[in-house]
Amino acid sequence: MVAPTIIGLVVLNLWPFVQTLYASFCEHEGFGHYKFIGLQNYVDMFGNAEFWKATWNTIYFCILTVPVGIALALLIAMLLNAHVKFKGGFRTIFFLPLVCAPAAVAMVWRWIFNGEYGILNQILGTKIQWITDPKTAVLAVAIVSVWSSVGYDAVLLLAGLQNIPKSLYEANSIDGAGKIQQFFTITLPMVSPTLFSVLIMRLMASMKIYDLIYMMADETNPALTDMQSLMYLFYRSSFVAGDRGYGSAIVIWTVGLILIVTLVQFQGQKKWVTYDI
Amino acid sequence: MLLLLLSLTGCGSSSDGKTHLTFQIWDVYQRPGMQAMCDAYTAKHPDVVIEVQATSWSEYWTKLEASAESNTMPDIFWMHTNQLLYYADFGMLADVTNLYDDVESDYYEKHFSEISRNNASGSDGKLYGVPKDKDNGLLVYNKEMFDAAGVPYPTEDWTWGDLRDASQKIHDKTGKYGFMAYNDDQLGYWCFVYQAGGHILTADRTKAGYTNPGSVKGMEFYVNMQKEDWCPDQTYFTETAPSTAFFSEAGAMYLEGNWNLPQLMENYPEMRGKWDIAKLPRCADPIEDSESLDKDGRATLSNGLCYSTAARGKNREIALNVIKFFGTEEAQRIQGEKGAAIPAYIGCEETWRAAFDSYNEKLNLDIIFEQFDYAVQAVYNSASPKWKSQVLDELTRVYSGERDLKTGLKNMERIVNKETAKKLADD
Repeated sequence: MVAPTIIGLVVLNLWPFVQTLYASFCEHEGFGHYKFIGLQNYVDMFGNAEFWKATWNTIYFCILTVPVGIALALLIAMLLNAHVKFKGGFRTIFFLPLVCAPAAVAMVWRWIFNGEYGILNQILGTKIQWITDPKTAVLAVAIVSVWSSVGYDAVLLLAGLQNIPKSLYEANSIDGAGKIQQFFTITLPMVSPTLFSVLIMRLMASMKIYDLIYMMADETNPALTDMQSLMYLFYRSSFVAGDRGYGSAIVIWTVGLILIVTLVQFQGQKKWVTYDI
Repeated sequence: MLLLLLSLTGCGSSSDGKTHLTFQIWDVYQRPGMQAMCDAYTAKHPDVVIEVQATSWSEYWTKLEASAESNTMPDIFWMHTNQLLYYADFGMLADVTNLYDDVESDYYEKHFSEISRNNASGSDGKLYGVPKDKDNGLLVYNKEMFDAAGVPYPTEDWTWGDLRDASQKIHDKTGKYGFMAYNDDQLGYWCFVYQAGGHILTADRTKAGYTNPGSVKGMEFYVNMQKEDWCPDQTYFTETAPSTAFFSEAGAMYLEGNWNLPQLMENYPEMRGKWDIAKLPRCADPIEDSESLDKDGRATLSNGLCYSTAARGKNREIALNVIKFFGTEEAQRIQGEKGAAIPAYIGCEETWRAAFDSYNEKLNLDIIFEQFDYAVQAVYNSASPKWKSQVLDELTRVYSGERDLKTGLKNMERIVNKETAKKLADD
């Protein structure tokens, strides 16, 4: 009964992974011909400043997007869970970015960020080169990323919030607890399983960030090395420079990084995630 | 499940009994021209249907390489000089050297220039494509801004100094940018390097020449223009393409490829008549160099595409017959008359003027054809796909101030030499 799923998993996920692992030990000579060169790709990679820069950019991007994104999503979810008018309308508005094609989103934001004519500089009265200044480039991508993912996370958290029995709050307020105390003693523990899954998903997605950078940066962007993520470096190595072996090594490194971060999270969850009522 | 997969991939034959061919190109503006050529072919061969598919330049090469690996290449496709050697040396392209033997034994020599033939040749000297077109880079300028600043229009004798002076005057008088020198190779620094007597690659294409005195002179002049107040810097060009800046009347001059002119006329109707084209300015004191072709400081870069088909394609024979037709005078004439590109076929070049027939405002098209007399072949070797993006990265660092130009040039030379030596050793 599970054969189709298993076959699909092996053919579409497991086998390509094995191939990628093998390719990372090879030099790509062209058109799918690989020559085994041992650890050379990894030696080159670890000795390359651009690679370390991309690793840091990826981590920096996660730092910028994950905590802020999730805090915002939780705030929005709580607001949407409260008794506000036009609740349905607000829910739609916050969910809307997710329905938009990422490419279109990136194009519109490029216009907003444009240093010469962009609306953001007009409003702020500044002349910041948002996506070409090395100092703000990652920040600009992070803003777009948070903007486009916050609605989805909020919907998931909202589902978690709605599962909290009302009686808990009632009992709590009879005991004389304030709103803030309620948040930390009831809401946060009760929503923590959902929060945990959202955290895992968001962190993975952030570590794999590629499409926004591809759309918002440009080959000749002077800030490119300051904003390129590991996945973007992989794309450029594999498909622009044609160096599939080196690109595969970057992928393996990223997978390892995600694995470590996820393991740490699963260990850490024992301390703060509450599964039983 | 497997049956479903098999039926998805096995879409070679179709129900109408005709042979369906795909023709992949990367320039949507040339689609009507390509379609017209296909129509001319299918009119004679009603049993063939050709579908023209256009994608973007960057997607084109990712797709083509993936399809080459899985032996599902399009039946007919454009080949670029940057990539031809890579594909040809790996045996991916059909050998078309003897394609016209039944017509004339020296067909290629007779009807195509040496540059065109070189553009279609593999490392083994055989032809892997039928020459399609040729192009070159030229100077586009805004007549109104020149008038407003009281500067005479660019002439044949313009030097680098004139370019600077005009830019400065226009900026002083109008507040607009002058010459917009952006980070590009064929439409940028390559031209200036060759004008200064330098070279990017040696004539045998085995060594780089970035640190050659002429190259340094050209690069210094070109890159440092962005430090002038009349030239925007690279952050500006990342967000605003030079053509966008020019046609929104933010700047007075930039380098453009002739292939873009028809669409610029079409896309900016309100600008027609306000701009014209001129030959590239020349270097007044080029540095003597045994590698450079001309010593009078003139140069523009010229490139050309060709039509290729896969070495092991399913419809190889029919596809070969189609590209054979694409190389005839009839098809090349259609390409020119539809305004797609300047035909590579000798004697048909001027048909391309038809692209501008519908406009009352005229451009000085003569200069394009005259520039071919001293045009330099666009720079490439079999390792180009490997070094091109690395060199661009290095130049980006120079533009952002992270590297000084001298170090940057040394690095570029090292990158090209390293990748080229590696490729030559592999072969």
